[in-house]
Amino acid sequence: MIGGGIVLTVIAVLLVAGGTRFLQTKGWSAPIPRPDGGYLSGGETDTEHAEKQSGLLRWLTTVDHKDIGILYLVFGTVAALWGGTEAMMIRTELLTPTADVWTAATYNGLFTTHGITMLFFFVTPVFFGIANYFLPLLLNADDMAFPRINAIAFWMLPPSLLLARAGLPADALGKLLSTVGVKIPFLEALHPPETGWTLYAPLSIQSGNPQVDLLLLGLHLSGIATTLGAINFIITIVSERGENIGWMDVDIFSWTMLSTSGIILFAFPLLGSAVIMMLLDRNLGTTFYLVEGGGPILWQHLFWFFGHPEVYIIFLPATGLVSFILPKFSSRKLFGFKFIVYSTLAIGVLSFGVWAHHMFTTGIDPRIRMSFMFVSLAIAVPSAVKVFNWISTMYDGRIRLTAPMIFAVGSIGTFIIGGVTGVFLAAIPIDLVVHDTYFVVGHFHFILMAIIPMMMFAASYYWYPIITGRMYDQLLARLQAVLTIIGVPITFGSMLIMGALGLPRRYANYPDQFALLQQIASVGAFIIGIGVLLWLWNMVQSYRVGPRVRDADVWNLKRDDAFTREWQWFEEKLADRYGTDGGDPDDD
Amino acid sequence: MHRALRAVTGGLVGTVVLSGFLLVLDTQARGTLSVAAVVGRFLGIDGRPLIAIALFAIVTVVLWPALFVAVEGYLPFGPDPATRAVAFAAVIGIVFVVVGRGSITGPILVIYVGFSVLAHLAYGFAFGSIYGRLAG
Repeated sequence: MIGGGIVLTVIAVLLVAGGTRFLQTKGWSAPIPRPDGGYLSGGETDTEHAEKQSGLLRWLTTVDHKDIGILYLVFGTVAALWGGTEAMMIRTELLTPTADVWTAATYNGLFTTHGITMLFFFVTPVFFGIANYFLPLLLNADDMAFPRINAIAFWMLPPSLLLARAGLPADALGKLLSTVGVKIPFLEALHPPETGWTLYAPLSIQSGNPQVDLLLLGLHLSGIATTLGAINFIITIVSERGENIGWMDVDIFSWTMLSTSGIILFAFPLLGSAVIMMLLDRNLGTTFYLVEGGGPILWQHLFWFFGHPEVYIIFLPATGLVSFILPKFSSRKLFGFKFIVYSTLAIGVLSFGVWAHHMFTTGIDPRIRMSFMFVSLAIAVPSAVKVFNWISTMYDGRIRLTAPMIFAVGSIGTFIIGGVTGVFLAAIPIDLVVHDTYFVVGHFHFILMAIIPMMMFAASYYWYPIITGRMYDQLLARLQAVLTIIGVPITFGSMLIMGALGLPRRYANYPDQFALLQQIASVGAFIIGIGVLLWLWNMVQSYRVGPRVRDADVWNLKRDDAFTREWQWFEEKLADRYGTDGGDPDDD
Repeated sequence: MHRALRAVTGGLVGTVVLSGFLLVLDTQARGTLSVAAVVGRFLGIDGRPLIAIALFAIVTVVLWPALFVAVEGYLPFGPDPATRAVAFAAVIGIVFVVVGRGSITGPILVIYVGFSVLAHLAYGFAFGSIYGRLAG
């Protein structure tokens, strides 16, 4: 029937409206789980930014570290939602043993772009965003050392994402244009790369897909952006600290960002060189990674010389956030602060000596394998130092299970699983058995989809009042934390089991006997996905109508002498805005 | 701003958001489902995708906002128009998914249902928040 959907919709809406009215006459006030006492935004004049441009121009021209931090956070969130959608698609494909949702080629494209998007365009930008906003505040610095370079570093990221992920927007644009009769062949030639995020030669050289070239250019550009950002962080921490901030006063999050930035400085330029050589191999007939030339193993060495430090680049800021946030809700000082700093620096150094554990099965010299095994086992020690210190910090403390704290505790638990399975993989005999199976995927997702995003969520909740001046729905936040912590072991624990049973990764089809475990993994992933949507809703809706924060000591930190510099800055800001008495709650 | 104009402006922004979501669904689905066909089935004009899309745009820019304005006071989760519009759009999304489903079966149904409902929730939120904000 023409308009059938519309008629049905109108009827359904009227039924809901009528039902609501009926319930209201029976005394139901239709409450919603939202932050109470909220205000719609728009009634406040922010005097602090009066000198800045207004509207869109402000965001395009800003060199303020806080604004750039927010830009990074928004960019990282968009990338995460994009990559997360692909994760949901992967898990949907794997609900059944046959590739009956998408083709195997599409599946190959999905896990490739999922990995690249999450690793390069989600994790690092989000941690850079948090650090951009809070490092100058924590260090009592006026701004980042080089504000304009800071802005340039950020603005390189959107084009690099567009280059790396050109397939989807090109496809969408192609579809749009084709509906009005315009056909551009180039748009249809770009397909998602099917090489895996590791871009191993010779597959990535032989691929005729021009999107691989754009991806390499995008990665190169993002590498430049990341290196610029890292230089800025290092100089800021070393030379822009406030007068009263000596090295002994530097907070633990800044220490981890210093270490991370140091690793970036040595790792990313190498990636840039390696991808340029691959571009030359693909387009100009050079032989860097051909059997006749440097050989495909050369790519693996260069890639993993960058790739394993990259693991710590994205892991260390998360540990810094655990070390920073956990004591606040344990009413304790961080246990063994110095040793956590030493362990962070040790990881920074050791991270460059473990890369070949990704290559144990490639036939490299066994004596080389042995040395890499020892260093890979050794790097577990500083990580374990952190875990013991975190647990000791909580021991006998006054634990308050706020959303950031639930995430921090959940991070420790899941990190232990991710870390211990990593120790297994570092052992050559075990690695030879489970290499390239779901065991590896389960292991690294116990880090990548656990402590890393969990501490991002924790930071977003912990510092939300400073960034927005409002409070969020704490019940909803706790629900999201619990959902995530439940979803992670369901999803990735299943993968560990499947891997131990020998199921290889990166196949759209799999034997029937793994169907149940795959379905359990998918259900877990959907639970995590629902949690992410709850977080997104909470962030956006609380920004609109969350109750305004009047007292800067949101978390009762003064009681424990933990009211750190960023909160002191916030307190001054509130005093400027509302007056020293906290203002009249009804004044707006 | 006049209430009707606010509603249409909100509807326009909401439609942009909705279109973005549906375009991503269509592209990500890699040809296993056609959003234009779903919209055609929803409107009861299956087989004429271009007309269906144009009509659907009119519906989401004008008709749904008009319906919202008519029943706003009766919708749950007020007084915030954004949350009310989310509830309103959830109803639209559910009908859209059921009527537009056609022969979509199997695991792709999970993506289809999830994405379509999410697209409508985002439509409702965008529409409602703009509608509310323009009230001044």
